[in-house]
Amino acid sequence: MAVRAELVDSSAVRIASRHEEAALDLAGSLPRLLVAARRASATVVHGLHGRRRSGVGENFWQFRRFTAGDAPGRIDWRRSARDEHLYVREQEWEAAHTVWIWIDRSRSMAFRSSLAPLPKIERAVVLGLALADLLVRGGERVGLLGLSRPTASRLAIERLAQALAYAPDDAGHLPPAAIPIARLAEAVVIGDLLAPEDEIASAVASLAGRGGRGHLVMIADPAEETFPFWGRTEFVDPDGGVSLIAGRAEEWRAGYEERLTRHRAAVADIARRHGWSFIVHRTDRPATEALLGLHAQLGEAAQ
Amino acid sequence: MSALPLAFLSPWLLAALLALPALWLLLRIVPPRPRRVDFPPLRLLLDVTAKRETPVRTPWWLLLLRLAIAALIIIALARPIWNPAAATSNESGPLLVVVDNGWASAPDWGARTAAADAAISAAGDAGRPVALVATAEPPRDIALTTAGEARERLRVLAPEPLMPERTPLLAPIRKLLAGNPTTEALWISDGLAGGEARAFAEGLKRELGGGRLSVRVDAAHSARALVAAENAPAALTVKALRAEAAGREPFRVRATDLRGRPLADAEGAFAVGARDATATFDLPVELRNDVARLEIVGARSAGAVQLLDQRSKRRTVGLVTGATADVAQPLLSPTYYVSRALKPFADVREASGQGASQAVERFVSEKLPVIILADVGALTQEAHEALAGWLRNGGVLIRFAGPRLAGAPDDDLSPVRLRQGGRVLGGALAWETPQPLASFSPNGPFAPLVVPNDVTVSRQVLAEPDADLPERVWATLGDGTPLVTGAREGKGLSVLFHVTSDTRWSNLPLSGAFVDMLRRIVDLAGSSPAAAPDAAATTPAAARRPALPPTRTLDGYGAFRSPPATARPAPAEGRPAATPDNPPGFYGPVDAGVAINALPADASLARLDLAGLDASVAQIATEEPTPIAPWLLTLAALAAIVDSLVVFLLGGGAALLTRRPRAAAILVAAIGVSLLAAPGVVRAEPAGRDPIDERFALEATLSTRLAYVATGDFEVDRISKAGLEGLSQTLGQRTALEPGAPMAVDPAKDELSFFPLLYWPVVQGAPTPSPEALARIDAYMKQGGTILFDTRDALTSGPGVQNETLKRLLGGLDVPALEKAPPDHVLTKAFYLLNDFPGRYSGSPLWVEALPPVEEGEERPARAGDGVSPILITGADFAGAWAVGANGEPLFPTSSDERQREMAYRVGVNIVMYTLTGNYKADQVHVPALLERLGQ
Repeated sequence: MAVRAELVDSSAVRIASRHEEAALDLAGSLPRLLVAARRASATVVHGLHGRRRSGVGENFWQFRRFTAGDAPGRIDWRRSARDEHLYVREQEWEAAHTVWIWIDRSRSMAFRSSLAPLPKIERAVVLGLALADLLVRGGERVGLLGLSRPTASRLAIERLAQALAYAPDDAGHLPPAAIPIARLAEAVVIGDLLAPEDEIASAVASLAGRGGRGHLVMIADPAEETFPFWGRTEFVDPDGGVSLIAGRAEEWRAGYEERLTRHRAAVADIARRHGWSFIVHRTDRPATEALLGLHAQLGEAAQ
Repeated sequence: MSALPLAFLSPWLLAALLALPALWLLLRIVPPRPRRVDFPPLRLLLDVTAKRETPVRTPWWLLLLRLAIAALIIIALARPIWNPAAATSNESGPLLVVVDNGWASAPDWGARTAAADAAISAAGDAGRPVALVATAEPPRDIALTTAGEARERLRVLAPEPLMPERTPLLAPIRKLLAGNPTTEALWISDGLAGGEARAFAEGLKRELGGGRLSVRVDAAHSARALVAAENAPAALTVKALRAEAAGREPFRVRATDLRGRPLADAEGAFAVGARDATATFDLPVELRNDVARLEIVGARSAGAVQLLDQRSKRRTVGLVTGATADVAQPLLSPTYYVSRALKPFADVREASGQGASQAVERFVSEKLPVIILADVGALTQEAHEALAGWLRNGGVLIRFAGPRLAGAPDDDLSPVRLRQGGRVLGGALAWETPQPLASFSPNGPFAPLVVPNDVTVSRQVLAEPDADLPERVWATLGDGTPLVTGAREGKGLSVLFHVTSDTRWSNLPLSGAFVDMLRRIVDLAGSSPAAAPDAAATTPAAARRPALPPTRTLDGYGAFRSPPATARPAPAEGRPAATPDNPPGFYGPVDAGVAINALPADASLARLDLAGLDASVAQIATEEPTPIAPWLLTLAALAAIVDSLVVFLLGGGAALLTRRPRAAAILVAAIGVSLLAAPGVVRAEPAGRDPIDERFALEATLSTRLAYVATGDFEVDRISKAGLEGLSQTLGQRTALEPGAPMAVDPAKDELSFFPLLYWPVVQGAPTPSPEALARIDAYMKQGGTILFDTRDALTSGPGVQNETLKRLLGGLDVPALEKAPPDHVLTKAFYLLNDFPGRYSGSPLWVEALPPVEEGEERPARAGDGVSPILITGADFAGAWAVGANGEPLFPTSSDERQREMAYRVGVNIVMYTLTGNYKADQVHVPALLERLGQ
C-alpha cells in the first residue's frame, strides 16, 4: 500500500487540554531546567525565583551577622533586638531568565503521513509546552513569542496553552520579524522550517538582532524525509494552491532528498552564524529526544 | 448464426466493435487519475527537476475490463436474440402466412406468433406485402397488407378454443392467389391431423402451383387433450389424448369445482406407444358431483380442459319395491331392471329388509333427490305425508305400476288419476294386440329420444281421461293411451310409468330406451331436494328447454372468460363438441346448464403427416426467442461497478474507510437499521387500532353506573349529573342496586356497552351526531342497551313526539315502532306500581317500543316484549326532578308538589329496574299459577 499523506482536519489539531497533559507527562520525565547562570548572572529582571543563595530579591533568605563593611541601613533591628548581635537581613538572590517560545501553526504543520503517529503540529505543541513547564519549574520566565507576556507562574503551561488555543490563526512559517528578543533572552523556534532559506535567515537575524540566543527545532514528518511515493501522484501545497503532478514519483526521490539535505544544511548554517542551535526532530521518533536535546542546549549542562 | 441459436436484430451495430482497438489505445494513453497527496515541502520539490516523465500505465486487466464493458454495450445495442425464429426465403412475391390458432396452438402460442412475426418482419424488410390468415376464424376475404398491419393483426390474434376448420379457407386463398400468382405461403401448423390438415396442405400446395410452401410444425411435443370425462359408479374417469405414440409420459389432471377451488389431483401416464391414457379420480360421490372442470396441469389449452355439467353428476336414487320375497329370484325382482338401468349414471340405494313405508321414510329423511316406487300400493299415513312433503320440496318421484298400485286407492302421489284395475292387452280375454310405443310427447323430456320400435306393452294401468291429461302425457302407446305421465308437484316432479318395472307387463325395461328415459328423468332432479331444480327444468310443459345462453366460456388457453360476442345460445341438450358459435364453456343457469367441451368424447389425436408433400417443413422453435440485451447490459453495469471499485481501491479508497472506522461503522449501522426498520414499521401497524380507553373501561365497569350523554351544554350536563346522582342515591336506599357515581359519555368517542341505561337530554338545536357515532348508538341499542331521551319540553309541546332535534337525531337511527307505555306495560310494575310517568313536569307520556298486540282472551296483569325497549322517550324532564345538590336537597321545584318528585323517583327506579331485569317482572306474575301447578 502506498504511503498516504494529507493534512489533518484543523479541528483535530486544535490546542486542547490533551496537549497540556501530554506536555506535563513529557516534562515530568526530565529534571527541572535552569537556564545556565552564566547567561543569567547579570539579569536585572528579578523577584521571581530565588537562586538558593543570598542576593537581590524580594524574599527573605537568611539573617547574617553584621560584618564590617555592611551598610548600616541593612541592619534588621527587630532581629538584632532579640540578642546581643547585630543582624543583617539578606534577601534571596533572585534572577530570572526569559525564554520565548514560538510554535509554527501554519496549515502545513497539520501534515501527517501514514508513517507517523501524529501530525507535526501535535508534536510541536507538546514539545513547546513541555519545554515551558520544565523552564517554569526551573524558575524561568516563559512566554509565547507574539502571543503572551512572559510568566513564571506555576500555571504557566495552562496559560500558554490557552493563549495558543485562542490565538488568531497564523499562516506564517516563521516568527514575526518585528519583535527582536532581548539580549539575554532566548528564543525557541519550533516549526517545520520549510520556508526558503533566505526568509529563515532574515527571521533569525531579526530575532537575534539584540544579541539574543536561540534554538531552531525543525519538526519533520518521516514522509517529508524519505519521500516514500511512487506512481502517478499529484503533490499539493497545503498553503498555496500550487500543485505538482509527478508521473512517476519514485523518480523524484533522489533529487528531493538531495534538495532537502541542502536545505537543512543551509538552515544549520544560519543557526551557526547567529550562535543558535539547530535540532531536527522526526515525528516518528519519541518526543523525549527533542526535549532532551533542547534541555541540553538550554540547560547549564551545556556550558 | 449457424452453430449458436443467436441472431442480431441490428447486426450493423456490431461494426462498432471495430472501434475497440482505438479505445484500447486511448485507454492506454490516458493515464489513471493521479493520487492526490498533500505535501508541505512542495517548494523543495519544485526545485527538483525530474529526469523522466513517463506516466504509469493503466493495468492491463483493468484495460481488459473496460474493453469488455464497451464490447458488452455494443453487442447489447445490436439487440441479440437467443433462439431466433428462422427466417423465410428471400423472394419478391407476396407472403401468405397461415397461422393455426385452434386450441392445440395455445400451449406454445408465443413461439408461434414469434415465428410468424419473424417471417412477417423479414417480408416487411424485403418490402413484400403480407396476408395473414388465422385458421380458427371464419373464412373471409384475404387482403394483402403491409407487414406492419399484419403484425398488428398478429398481435391481437389469440388461440381460439376450437379445432380449426381449414378447408373453407381454401376458397379465399384461391381468390387471393388468382391475383398474386407469385405468392409464397407459410403455414404455421399446430401439428395435428385434425381439422383436415392434410387436405388443407395439399389444397394449399395445389393453389400455390409453383409457389413455395413452407410448413412449420411444432416439435415432437404437441398439445395434449382431455376427453370423455365420465362419472362412473366407482370413480370419475377422464381420458387424456396425445398425438404421437411416443414413450411413457406421466401427466396430472386436476379437478376443480365451479368456483375454481381444486378438489383433487389424479396422476395418469401414457404408456409406451399409447396415444391415450386414463386418469381416475377415486372420490366420494358427493365430491365427484362438485367437480365442474378437469384439466391437465400445465397444459394451457382449451382442449386440455374437460367441463362437467349437471348431466354428469351422479344422483342417488332410492329404490322401493312393494314386493317382499323376490330376492331369491333376482330376475323377477321388480327392481332388477330399474337398478341395472340406473347404474351407469346414478347410485342406487335399495331398501333391504324393510317395509315400503319405512324405506320411503328413510329415503326422505336421507334427502335423496330421486325415489322410485316400483309397484308400491298404499303407504302408511306418515310415510305418505313425508313423501308428499318431500315431493313438494323438489323431489323427483318415479312410480311404476303393478298389481299393487292397480289395486290400491288413488293416493294423489301420481301425476294422473288412475282407473282401478289393470288393462290387459293381447291376452286371451283381450280384444286388442299388445301395443307398441308410439310417440314421445314433444313437450315432455323424452322429446329428443328416438322412439324404439321394439317395445310392446301387454298390460298397463289406465289414466282417467281428465282435462289436463294430455299435457301430462310424456309417452303414448299406439292406441293413444299414456305409457308415461308426469306432472309437477310443488317444486318436485312426479312421474308414473304405467307399466311394471319388470318384464311382466311390457318389454320396455329390456329396451335401451328405458335407460335413456330414466336418465332424462333423473337428470331433471337436483342433486338433493334442497337444491331444487328450477321451474323450467321440472315443469313438463317447459321440459323441452329453450336454447341456453352462454354463461362462462373458455378461451384458447383453457381459462374461463365471459362469453365473447360471437357466442350463441346452445341447444338444451348441449353439443358433443364446440363449434365457432358455441365455444366450449357452460351454458344456461349454473345448476341446470350444460357444458360444451372443445373435443367430442370419441376424439383422438394424430400427428399431421406431411410425407410426400412438396413443402419445406421446419420446426417452430419451441423455446421462445429471448432478447439477451438486458442481460448484457446488466453484465456491463456490474463490470462498470467493479471497475469503479477497482479505481477506488487503487486510489487508496480502502484506507479511507479503514482510517475512518467510525464513518464505516455508522454506514453499517445505518444499513442495518434500515433493514430492521421496515419490519418494525409493519409490526407497528396493528397497534394503530383504536383501543378502548382502559381507564374509562375500568371505571365504567367496576361498579354498575348510570350514564348520561354529555350534550356540551354546561347547564344541561350539570342537571343530568345531579339528576342521576339523586336517582343513584334513591336506588341505593331503596333497592338492592347500589350504583356508582354517574358518568358522562360521548357516544362518538366512548364505549357505550358498559352502561345499561343512557340518559340523553335533548338540547334544542344540538348538532346531529356523526354517522360513526350514530352507528355506535345503533349498535348499542341493538345489543341490549336502553337510551332514555328526555326532551324536557312537556310544558310546551303538544301530544306526540314533536321535538325537531329529536326527530333529526332519530332519523339516523333504526328506531322500532313506538307507542305510549300502556297501563299494563311491565314498566309500570318493575318495582313500584305506577299509573303514569311524571318527571319535573307531569302529563308527558313515556314512549316505549311497541309491544306485540294482546292476544285475544288473554288476561295478563303485565306485558313485555322480548327483551327491553331499546329506546324510551319522555318530555317530563326526569333529571330536573331527580336532581339533588351536594347536601341532598332538591335543586328544582316540580310542576305541582313534592309528591310528584317522589313519583318521579319511583319512575326512575322502575326504569332502572326495567333495564336491568327486563321482562322478569312480567314473568313473575305467573308465579301463582306455577305454584298452583306444582301442587303447593
